[in-house]
Amino acid sequence: MIQAHSIFKRFEQTSDPVIKGVELTINDGDFISMMGRSGSGKSTLLYLLSTLDRTFDGSVLYDGLDIKQMDVKKIHELRNKDIGFVFQFHYLLNELSALDNILLPARKTNQMAQKESFARELLSQIGLAEKADRLPSNLSGGEQQRVAIARALIMQPKYLFADEPTGNLDSINGNMILDLFEKFNQKYGTTIVYVTHDKEFGERALKKITLVDGVIAT
Amino acid sequence: MMFLSLKHLFSRKKQSLLILLGIIIGTAAYVAISGMMLGFQTKLMDQLVNNDAHIRISAREELLTAKALNSFNEAAHVFWAIPPSGRKDSAKIEYPIGWFNKLDADPDVVAFAPQVNLNVIFNRARVTQSGRLIGADPGKQEKISNIEQYMIAGKFKDIGNSGNHIVIGKQLLEKIGARLSETILISSGKGSPQPFKVVGIFETGSRNIDEGTAFSSLTDTQKLRGTPSEITDIAVKILDPNKAEEKAMQWRSSTNEKVLAWQESYASILSVFKTQDIVRNSMTISIIIVASFGIYNILSILVTQKKRDIAILRSMGFTPSDIIKLFFNQGLILGVVGGISGLFLGIFICWLMGQIEIAPGRIGSSSGKMIISYDYLIYVKAFLIALCATLFSSILPARAAGKLEPMDIIRSGGQ
Repeated sequence: MIQAHSIFKRFEQTSDPVIKGVELTINDGDFISMMGRSGSGKSTLLYLLSTLDRTFDGSVLYDGLDIKQMDVKKIHELRNKDIGFVFQFHYLLNELSALDNILLPARKTNQMAQKESFARELLSQIGLAEKADRLPSNLSGGEQQRVAIARALIMQPKYLFADEPTGNLDSINGNMILDLFEKFNQKYGTTIVYVTHDKEFGERALKKITLVDGVIAT
Repeated sequence: MMFLSLKHLFSRKKQSLLILLGIIIGTAAYVAISGMMLGFQTKLMDQLVNNDAHIRISAREELLTAKALNSFNEAAHVFWAIPPSGRKDSAKIEYPIGWFNKLDADPDVVAFAPQVNLNVIFNRARVTQSGRLIGADPGKQEKISNIEQYMIAGKFKDIGNSGNHIVIGKQLLEKIGARLSETILISSGKGSPQPFKVVGIFETGSRNIDEGTAFSSLTDTQKLRGTPSEITDIAVKILDPNKAEEKAMQWRSSTNEKVLAWQESYASILSVFKTQDIVRNSMTISIIIVASFGIYNILSILVTQKKRDIAILRSMGFTPSDIIKLFFNQGLILGVVGGISGLFLGIFICWLMGQIEIAPGRIGSSSGKMIISYDYLIYVKAFLIALCATLFSSILPARAAGKLEPMDIIRSGGQ
């Protein structure tokens, strides 16, 4: 469970906060979308919740542990084992094949051998079993994003955060990504939080959060 | 992180190959130039150190002045009918027995040989040639120099202890126009010329020695000089030739005789060696510096290009030290691969140079081929220079990469 208490985030000390006193609880197995206009603070809140940004006022607790109190080693361990992250621009490593990209988090803990069969299973679930050895340059935008999702799931994390995962995709590919999210949420119980500005995609979540000027409106 | 580092290197084949080439050329150049120069230096040093004494004790060549005898009695003045013109008529070691006892007792002394060094004129038929005759005990002389190795006819010990026999430098013999077993006349300027039989010929490769030196027995040379039982030099060989200067200084403080270490005698040659070393090192370091700047530039550009990768790796739990390793390893791989390949290329160039035929017997050659040093220290140094240069040039970009925070990269759009 993730609990956010009274979160304020400023980019500069003197500027107005972009997140203003957010209170939020994310239960295990939740499937949440975060929507809002551009500049409403939805991506900023996602980075705060996902431990990538720890410079804020207030607290974010992972199973009761404050991420600001955790030492660096614990944070890196948390990011590696319990959190998966999907960026808008998929950010695959161009030098690595689809399979090697998926196995990248497992390299950190030398678990490539143990994780390889699961990586191949993920590849078949995202419909890219035949393209395991292809480099990102030989994959389409939708395929690259699916590989990025598989990479985020390889360590079977408790939480998956996605920042505009469908932002660069057409509706067919976008829906395919959302199908995958639903599938992993149901099959592995992965807690999924994704940011989108697309109402249609946002509606597919079980819990919907709308941010307006840094405050949760609904 | 080694896997990712290798992937990065292989994804930029041209750049990696160019850097590698710079390191290989730098390392190979160091090995080849060092092999050639040190080979030459080692051979020359061997000739300088082992062909002659490590320390030479010589009679002081004092000049006699009009006031020289005044010190006998402070109250008296010596008035000369004809004032002295300068040098004493003959120089000699004043108390040789004292030196012999001292040298016998010194644990650092391996051997010593009393000598008479004499400027003479060699004469055969109408040909005359000036040169130097060294009178020495053959057994003792062989212990302080490796002259026997350079004998191309006869044996050094054939000069015996008497009987007017000489061994002579090859070029000197040619200048006189004599052959082995022939008799030539030698004059010291005192008394009549004496006949000496040529019983051996040597060729050291040093022109200075080969065209101006002959050896005879100590007694025969003393007789020729007209000073029986006097010696002009004591050639000393010590355990460690590198300590010759220190030892010479120690002996100098307690004697009037001239004591000269080989380093002092050949100071000009040693300074040439130092210059050679400076040129060799600066050349190689220049090449390596150019390669290092290449590595620094390319890795710095790479860090900028790979900011998004760094952000994604950090979001997956990779630590800043993992990111440092990712870039540092690339410098390490280039340094190790470039260094080792450079060593092999250098050895191959050395082998090729070792096949070059040059005049036999000359300094820096053996059996007519160029002498190349294969001292392991050359390889250790070359490898360490290559490795240190590459590591040093990778550490700065690697540390810069390690300091990047994922959020800063994401907010800047990966730029």
